[in-house]
Amino acid sequence: MNLSGTVLLVEDNELNRDMMIRRLSRAGFDVLTAGNGKQALDIMHSKMPCIVLMDMNLPVLDGWAASRRAKEDKDIGHIPIIALTAHATDDHRQYALDSGCDDYATKPVDFPGLLIKINKLIRL
Amino acid sequence: MSLRRQLTLSLVTILILFAINVGTHFWGSYARNESMAAYRNSVTAAQLSTEIEQLLEDQKQQVLILATLRDNTEDQLENTELLQAETAIDTINARIKKLGSLSRGVTELNFEMLWDSSSTLLENWITFYRNYNDPAFKKDMDDPLPFLDVRQRLQALEARQAFIASQRANIIDRTIELTDRITVIGFFASIFLTAILGYYLVSYTNRSLKRLKKGTERIGSGDLNYRIDDIDDTGELGDLAAAFNDMSDKLRNAIYDVRKARDAADEASATKSIFLANVSHELRTPLNAIIGYSEMLQDELGDTAEVNKQQFQQDLGTIMSSGQQLLSLINDILDLSKIETGKMSLHCETFNPADIIRQSCDVLSPLLRKTGNELRTDKIKALPDFYSDAAKFRQIMTNLLSNANKFTERGIIRICAEEIAERPGWVEFTVQDTGIGMSDDQINRVFDAFVQADSSTSANYGGTGLGLAICKNYSELMGGTIVVRSQPGAGSIFTVTLPTDLRSTHAAA
Repeated sequence: MNLSGTVLLVEDNELNRDMMIRRLSRAGFDVLTAGNGKQALDIMHSKMPCIVLMDMNLPVLDGWAASRRAKEDKDIGHIPIIALTAHATDDHRQYALDSGCDDYATKPVDFPGLLIKINKLIRL
Repeated sequence: MSLRRQLTLSLVTILILFAINVGTHFWGSYARNESMAAYRNSVTAAQLSTEIEQLLEDQKQQVLILATLRDNTEDQLENTELLQAETAIDTINARIKKLGSLSRGVTELNFEMLWDSSSTLLENWITFYRNYNDPAFKKDMDDPLPFLDVRQRLQALEARQAFIASQRANIIDRTIELTDRITVIGFFASIFLTAILGYYLVSYTNRSLKRLKKGTERIGSGDLNYRIDDIDDTGELGDLAAAFNDMSDKLRNAIYDVRKARDAADEASATKSIFLANVSHELRTPLNAIIGYSEMLQDELGDTAEVNKQQFQQDLGTIMSSGQQLLSLINDILDLSKIETGKMSLHCETFNPADIIRQSCDVLSPLLRKTGNELRTDKIKALPDFYSDAAKFRQIMTNLLSNANKFTERGIIRICAEEIAERPGWVEFTVQDTGIGMSDDQINRVFDAFVQADSSTSANYGGTGLGLAICKNYSELMGGTIVVRSQPGAGSIFTVTLPTDLRSTHAAA
């Protein structure tokens, strides 16, 4: 699968962030990173990434609130967001979708599956 | 009045009426017998009187004839004739005596008068017979007065007897009439009273039973606040109503208890679900690194480009440390689960807590370099030996120290330990930091499992959120307590108080 575009990875865990940066780069993406929800919103405004991979447990502004604010913002509301979280129950999935996320993926990440989800949302 | 009293009273009343009826019946029947006897008496007396009168008349005629014969002829009386005459007179005498036996009480006076005159008359006649053959005997037997006198008195007695008999008959007739009347009245009164009492009792019990029925229906349909309090019976029915009310009270309490137990069970079940969701979340975080790095390394090895050996080694280290983190997390969860199911046991031995604190500090020192914190142990006094669970004590100290280091940056961590002067046999351990501290709300939840000060804490600082829950459970298991004082931005002070000897503590408890 040949992919390109800019991905914003919002992740506060250093290990996970490094791992995802390397894997996404290898897959062909330009990767931007943010450590919390507030940074993520700023970068979405300034860099207009193709897609956002959003962890939910984040300091300062958590992923749910950040997703809600992004979707309410007319400048960046069109950018698709995939929730990326270790909260794996149906309730959490629904909560993420209700917060405005376009899709949902659980940790540990099924990377090929995640790439398919990203591809689908970018092509829309 | 109670139902039993009412029933007893009714029964007694009816029995009394019944007894009156029976009594009057016997009275009447006695009066009838009396009447019969009196009648028979008067008939016998009348017969006797007539007979006596006849006998006297005959005897008088015989004496007159004999007297005339004696005066005019030389007639002599044979012995047998004398004997016959004496027998006849004796018979009369016996008849009169028999009449006397019938005349008692009111007619006695009349009889005595008769007896006097008849005795004289009969004596005269006997004398006449006995001296009949004696020519010198002179007696005028023509005088009719003694005979008339006897007959008159006999008739008087007869009349008197007839009068008394009729008078008594009258009285007896009236008695019979009276007893008959009483019997009839008593009979109807019994029927009337029985009917009224029966009606009253039936309607009374019916009324009370209807109320009881209504009460049971209301209580049965779930209205446990309903009270059967409109029954004025102080006896069995009142007791029954009170028992019903008591039952509904107990039922209400029981249902309240059941609801409470159900709520508690629901809450426990919800807590378990949350716990499971949290466990899943906490396990997934290190697993994400392990799986992610492994897959990535596999992908990179598949590439033609040469492998950066140093990078490769570092990534393997990451995988290993994540694995270690996962293992310690699983151990923590198992410990906590053991504690919660009450299966965690103490393994007591003799140890000195100061040694364990020093070892824990040594383990912490490489981490201290990362955070730039200074650890001060100067306030650890000489401590007495403990008889307690050394492993659990070590874990409490390790958890508290690593927590203090985790939430403090370029600050001071101080550990103090000393015996409590006013509480012999107890030692107080204090771990104090100058870190981020906690709000009151956070303090309230900080010892709960999987709770860190807030949801972003684990993101910022890592950790399972189980450490303090385990500390609290272990402290309590070892007979002690753990408390925390803290303010946001002003650091935290965790104080663990433990007994030195678990044997004496258990004995004291």
